[in-house]
Amino acid sequence: MKIAITGIGIISAIGRDQTETLASLQMEKSGIGAMQYLRSTHTDLPVGEVKFSNEELRALLQIPHTEAISRTSLLGLSAAKEALCQANIQDVQDMAFISGTTVGGMDTTECYWEDWKNGQKLEYIAQHEAGASTKKIAEHIGNFAYSTTPSTACSSALNSIMIGANMLRTRKVRRALVGGAESLSKFHLNGFNSLMILDAQPCRPFDATRAGLNLGEGAAYMVIESEEEALERGANILGYIAGYANACDAFHQTASSADGEGAFRAMDKAMQMAHVCPCQVDYLNAHGTGTPNNDASESAAIQRLFGENIPKISSTKSFTGHTTSASGSIEAVICLLCMQHGFVPANLHWEHCDENLIRPLLHNQTAEMEYVLCNSFGFGGNNSSLLLSKTVGTDLSVADVPILITQSEIVLEAEPKQYVSVAESRRMTPQTKQVLSVALKALEHHSTDVDAIICATQYGCMRNSVLFLKDMLSSNEQEVKPTPFIQSTHNTIASMLAIKLHNHGYNITYSHGEQSWHDAMQDVQMQMQLGMLQSALIIAFDEKVEEWDEMLQKVSYSSQNIAKAQIITLTK
Amino acid sequence: MEELILELKQQIIEVLNFEDMTPTDIETDAPLFGEGLGLDSIDALELIVLLDKGYGIKLADPKAGKEVFKSVRVMAEYIQANRTK
Repeated sequence: MKIAITGIGIISAIGRDQTETLASLQMEKSGIGAMQYLRSTHTDLPVGEVKFSNEELRALLQIPHTEAISRTSLLGLSAAKEALCQANIQDVQDMAFISGTTVGGMDTTECYWEDWKNGQKLEYIAQHEAGASTKKIAEHIGNFAYSTTPSTACSSALNSIMIGANMLRTRKVRRALVGGAESLSKFHLNGFNSLMILDAQPCRPFDATRAGLNLGEGAAYMVIESEEEALERGANILGYIAGYANACDAFHQTASSADGEGAFRAMDKAMQMAHVCPCQVDYLNAHGTGTPNNDASESAAIQRLFGENIPKISSTKSFTGHTTSASGSIEAVICLLCMQHGFVPANLHWEHCDENLIRPLLHNQTAEMEYVLCNSFGFGGNNSSLLLSKTVGTDLSVADVPILITQSEIVLEAEPKQYVSVAESRRMTPQTKQVLSVALKALEHHSTDVDAIICATQYGCMRNSVLFLKDMLSSNEQEVKPTPFIQSTHNTIASMLAIKLHNHGYNITYSHGEQSWHDAMQDVQMQMQLGMLQSALIIAFDEKVEEWDEMLQKVSYSSQNIAKAQIITLTK
Repeated sequence: MEELILELKQQIIEVLNFEDMTPTDIETDAPLFGEGLGLDSIDALELIVLLDKGYGIKLADPKAGKEVFKSVRVMAEYIQANRTK
């Protein structure tokens, strides 16, 4: 099956749609600048904001003021509508909607946290979780056959595209709307600031003087379907998903390894899937955040993989800022626009050569491109790579025959002292320790390394989120600590396990309410059907945190401690 | 000086969550990173927060921490010379 792309939608600091985005790219005009909309005290930090207030976005999308909706959902809805419109799709009943995010409704949570205590703005509580932002977007579009939310920090949106492709190849749905959305929030601005990786100047990816990233925001989606379907209904094919892969660096919670092992594996596997060799890649849209660590590690991986055949490279984060969980699909859509209009986009602000790094393209360059590789890496070494093709595509295998799987006994209890040392656990909350132990206990009965680690959570690592949020709010953004921020991502558990087990396999977290465990299980089964996995560790995690639970109870919700793990193996 | 060294050891244990340790377990001249206590880059960031909050010292460049956090004694000397509170 060739997977065709028949519609794209995008909103970011460089434009509200494809037309504006293309114009900014062609004019080499960056969207990074002084903070206008985010109400942070760190006004010295440049950001890549979408140039509309929430009120203006509501007006554009015709959403009444009375409706509780996060900025993430507003941005997502804008891009999703554009993609569906271009693909000429009105009815989404046979479609999946897969939208990656990490911030979700955090921008409204941080705004209304104090109001909630006083019983105000309670309608926003249910909008907090990552999955709620996806459901909200879906609610305004129509009745999708299926929707879910992968949350793997900055690689979330690229992972959405992979999940969608696997759904098509296993014939779960006829079409999918895939990508991600993420708004800026004070929460992650302060978090990245506490890691000292935000540049007070416009970011300079791959430059010798690079000093960090600038945060951005936005959303992008693409409509994907089989080439056959697309041709049958007379849809215009914009490009193809030629190959994709996710691999874990398994090195550190926030830093990338010096040799970029995870990045190398992701790019290599994506190209292998398409039977494309390095010399065929015309352009590489790098993750290229502008931090000293990322750009060095990514360069090492690129040099290792491409050797003498290094393609044209740029990081378009110099235009949009780092749009975190949305960056994967935003940059993939940018690649598609550039492929259609025959130019490679510039890597802005690069001036000083770093001998050890790849040398990016300084200005736009006219080029006919067939194959383009797009990288997207997240915390915990969650590395994903997507290969796009303009006209050729890849005939990817399909599998709709049921498979036989063996499910181990579900492990619900384990004694943490047996599995996690005191030194290892000093950054873990009691519940994190519990779930890690449960996962390690489940692995005791499995003789070989698992091919994948997949986590399911409704609210994520809530104790650290609440801790960081409270510090941030009570100190007026002056006294926050890096550890709870690092440990607050939804994918923290899956990446901690990968690091401990030196597991470079597929690594992902679903955060789509109570459906998350089902989604994780479905992911494993799809990949087993397609021959991509033989075994997987699935973990369910949630953390009952008093202050958060009090908020939930105000709207008759509740949270609970969950720690369970199971090994799934393909029965030969 | 000795007082500041003890205070620092207590703060390191608290900030970095070394639950089962006491100040006597940390050698004043032993390296904090790599060998010795075995701290990593996240700990370095936490120590930068500690310098700022406790002693009014702002380190703008995370790499500067490498020199300052060599050992508890080096850290104490740096604090004594640069503290603003």
